[in-house]
Amino acid sequence: MISLAGRDILHSWGKFVLTGLGLGLLIGVTFTMAGVYRGMVDDAKVLLNNSGADLWVVQKDTLGPYAESSSIPDDAYRGILGMPGVAQAANVTYLTMQVRKASTDVRAMVVGFEPGQPGEPAYLVAGRRITRSHYEAVADVMTFFAVGDRIRIRRHDYTVVGLTRRMVSSGGDPMVFIPLKDAQEAQFLKDNDAIVNGRARTAANPALNRPGVPGLLDAINASQASNHNVNAVLVRVAEGHSPDAVAQTLRRWKHLQAFTRAQMEEILIAKLIAIFAKQIGMILMILTVVSAAIVAFIIYTMTLGKIREIAVLKLIGTHNRTIAAMILQQALGLGLIGFLVGKIAATIWGPAFPKYVLLLPEDAVRGFVIVMVVCTIASTLAIRAALKVDPATAIGG
Amino acid sequence: MKLSLTLPRQAWFAVFGIALLIGFGWVALRSGPLAPIKVTVTQAAKGKVAPALFGIGTVEARRAYLIGPTAAGRVRRVLVDVGDVVKAGALLAEMEPVDLDARVTSAAAAAVRARSAVATAQAQVQDTQSRQELAASEARRYDELGRKGFVGQSVVDGKLQQQRSADAQLAAAESALTSARQDLARLDADREGVKQQRVNIRLEAPADGVVTARDAEPGSTVIAGQSVLKLEDPGSLWVKVRLDQGRSAGLRVGLPAEITLRSNPRKLFAGKVVRVEPISDSVTEERLAQVAFDQMPQGVSTGEMAEVALHLPVVSGALLIPNAALRHHGAQTGVWLRADGRLRFVPVKTGEEGPDGKVQIVEGLKGGDEVVVYSERDLKDDSRIKVVDSLGGKTQ
Amino acid sequence: MATGVGIRIEGLSKRYGAGDTAVDALKEVNMSVAPGEVVGLIGPSGSGKTTLLKCLGAVIEPTRGRMTLGGEVIYDNGWKITDLRVLRRDRIGFIFQAPYLIPFLDATDNVALLPMLAGRSNAVARARALELLQALDVAHRARAETSELSGGEQQRVSIARALANRPPVILADEPTAPLDSERALAVMRILNKMASQYQTAIIVVTHDEKIIPTFKRIYNIRDGRTIEEAGEGRALE
Repeated sequence: MISLAGRDILHSWGKFVLTGLGLGLLIGVTFTMAGVYRGMVDDAKVLLNNSGADLWVVQKDTLGPYAESSSIPDDAYRGILGMPGVAQAANVTYLTMQVRKASTDVRAMVVGFEPGQPGEPAYLVAGRRITRSHYEAVADVMTFFAVGDRIRIRRHDYTVVGLTRRMVSSGGDPMVFIPLKDAQEAQFLKDNDAIVNGRARTAANPALNRPGVPGLLDAINASQASNHNVNAVLVRVAEGHSPDAVAQTLRRWKHLQAFTRAQMEEILIAKLIAIFAKQIGMILMILTVVSAAIVAFIIYTMTLGKIREIAVLKLIGTHNRTIAAMILQQALGLGLIGFLVGKIAATIWGPAFPKYVLLLPEDAVRGFVIVMVVCTIASTLAIRAALKVDPATAIGG
Repeated sequence: MKLSLTLPRQAWFAVFGIALLIGFGWVALRSGPLAPIKVTVTQAAKGKVAPALFGIGTVEARRAYLIGPTAAGRVRRVLVDVGDVVKAGALLAEMEPVDLDARVTSAAAAAVRARSAVATAQAQVQDTQSRQELAASEARRYDELGRKGFVGQSVVDGKLQQQRSADAQLAAAESALTSARQDLARLDADREGVKQQRVNIRLEAPADGVVTARDAEPGSTVIAGQSVLKLEDPGSLWVKVRLDQGRSAGLRVGLPAEITLRSNPRKLFAGKVVRVEPISDSVTEERLAQVAFDQMPQGVSTGEMAEVALHLPVVSGALLIPNAALRHHGAQTGVWLRADGRLRFVPVKTGEEGPDGKVQIVEGLKGGDEVVVYSERDLKDDSRIKVVDSLGGKTQ
Repeated sequence: MATGVGIRIEGLSKRYGAGDTAVDALKEVNMSVAPGEVVGLIGPSGSGKTTLLKCLGAVIEPTRGRMTLGGEVIYDNGWKITDLRVLRRDRIGFIFQAPYLIPFLDATDNVALLPMLAGRSNAVARARALELLQALDVAHRARAETSELSGGEQQRVSIARALANRPPVILADEPTAPLDSERALAVMRILNKMASQYQTAIIVVTHDEKIIPTFKRIYNIRDGRTIEEAGEGRALE
């Protein structure tokens, strides 16, 4: 027995292929949407993994440095370092801000880190690590900076000496790593006008500006201009200790909160990404319905165009099920082409997306199954029409 | 041949189908989690590393002076302004004498009066002396007369008593003279003191220098210790450098330095560490050092920001790798070694690091070892890798 | 080779609808066609000839009567065959007003489709198809797509298809309607040749004046009743 579906497809292959391409692009968009969601979850996981930390110590009653702002004194790490089970404890700061390069602005998350400590990027894709204690930066490739670029963060110019990959905030902003002290200054120090105004206000305050105490005003101005805060302390737990136990110990300190990696994942993924997940879920559903509608429409139209032939086939003795199988096979064939085109397209245009698109093999398999199921359901409309055809209509024209 | 008519159609479809399958296969193998991770490698090689310490600092004057009065007063006149070059001893400003002149006059008058008091006391001494001499001689005569029986004992006693009283009066007059003299000395000293204060309202330059601040204008009232002018020696400018405690190993006096001023970033000034502060900043965790310029630059202001690089001795013959190759696994620092076609994490011990990113490996590697420098993703022991020339990160 | 008694219809009636609006399309029709015979069924439109074909083709159910095809009683006041589709496939060949070839199959496969549906292997089916195409002088177009065939070639391929499963009966519905007299006569020539070669009983429904003279026997149908007549039986070279 020859394959009627195959012959029909071969006969009008151009139409089939074009429809398949169109459907494929739609499916590609669907894959990309799912990939965006996976990418966001992966962003969060990579953010947590690449920090090299087992615990995040933040301001009490806040949800960690990423989901909520947190501010703790920068000497808190010393006490943390002394606690049992703590192998490394390092200050980090995070601030999302605009980074200037020449005349363009890039929105980035500026991370202040200490070299050799948790918080430093784990691997580079170009350049070198920071060797000077100030005014050098390592940027993620998504900032589109190049090694050697001069960028401006707040009041200082930095030289980009290295590039990283996949170092993005949970919001998708690429990261720029600078030495901790510079980051503290960038985060907590105001701009010149504000500083001048602040000084004037302090000088106008008679309680602070005492002529009988020379040097008092300068000391107050100096203390207002200095900053001794960080956003979090990243802790690496020593071998043989459980992060949960160490976190519990740290939480007993009244003014600090500590999260393990599992808790941070939950905060990022469940809280930050939850809304995106819903949105993307809805988009995926809509795209699936649209794809189903398109397949149904195309197959139905192709079937209607063959009504006479179907009547003849039925008359000369073709099984109903053979005809149904032909239609179903066409729908599945269309789906297969669409799936292949979609997967290829999604892989090709994925890297061009501003957000990270992650496509996993299991998503491809799942997508394939869904495409096949959708095509099967979509073909039922045409199959119903084909089955209803009366073979008698072939006689008598 | 009729066959050829149908062939193109089937052929085209077959071409499309094959292209699709090839594309799919390529996609599956080259990207996504199935694909090998692209890395670049380099060989560990011997070379020189020139480690440097880096810090930022501010330009300060080693010798700076606060010129002000030693007593509260009002500024009378200020003779110099910011930027003026002055010589040691030059009069810079003057305070109002206020009542000082009157006090000098009053002190002088008091001294004069004291002198007259001394004279009076002296005269009194003379007077009592003469009376005492008379009383003494009379007492002697009457004593003799009494012994001879010419006068009664009571008359003799009377005359003796007169002698004693005259002695006492002389003593009193002498001590009055001494105290008048002491009073004169005191008032003289007072007068000197007020005169000295009169001198102190002259604010003079303690050394050569440049005026850097004019803090009080004529007519303002200042208290003791408040500055009217600030002076500094422009030849004594140095940079107070702050270095991270953790990265200040090898800091010592005499290290050659390269100073870059914020106001002139393109020019490098040579300098030297002249002092390492014995007290570090425990809050900011920084060590402090003073770096002097070899040649004083022109047009530099104090408070200006500077970046200083201190050059430590060059280490030759060190086994070097780029610091981008270092990875941290927990507490261990190491590199990914590519040997026999396999990947292995090797802990290393690092030595000096140069500002160009080359780091010395003291233990763990030998020359010629191939290490992974850049990688697309974090590597694991069983990662499949593909060695490429560069990972496409743009370099200028 | 087809065997059996061809076609026999006895007392066939077909009523559409019920009660007052009932229409009797066929009233006690009697017909017989011998194997190898080509018989004409002539009548004006609305005379019931299409209904008769549909009954014979087992696509509608008659109301009453008896139908025997190829020696087998297929209807006797009720279908006597359980699977009408298989009946149509194996025992009846259809030739329509238009060729109605499957457009996405080539000439060979259009014909070979029927044996394949009947379970023959592709090779056997195609061999038989080629044989029939040769018999119809159209084998040189065996691999041509339907759209590449001329009208006459398509017609001949459709005839080959009707013969593909060697049915004892062929029902032809106005096979020459769109053709000119030369081609029409050519078609009749082929039908007669095939009928005698494969001993098939063929009923040709027509009102084409050009071919009516070629029938040896004619059934006139009017108002649902048939009258047998002798035809001219003009010879076809």
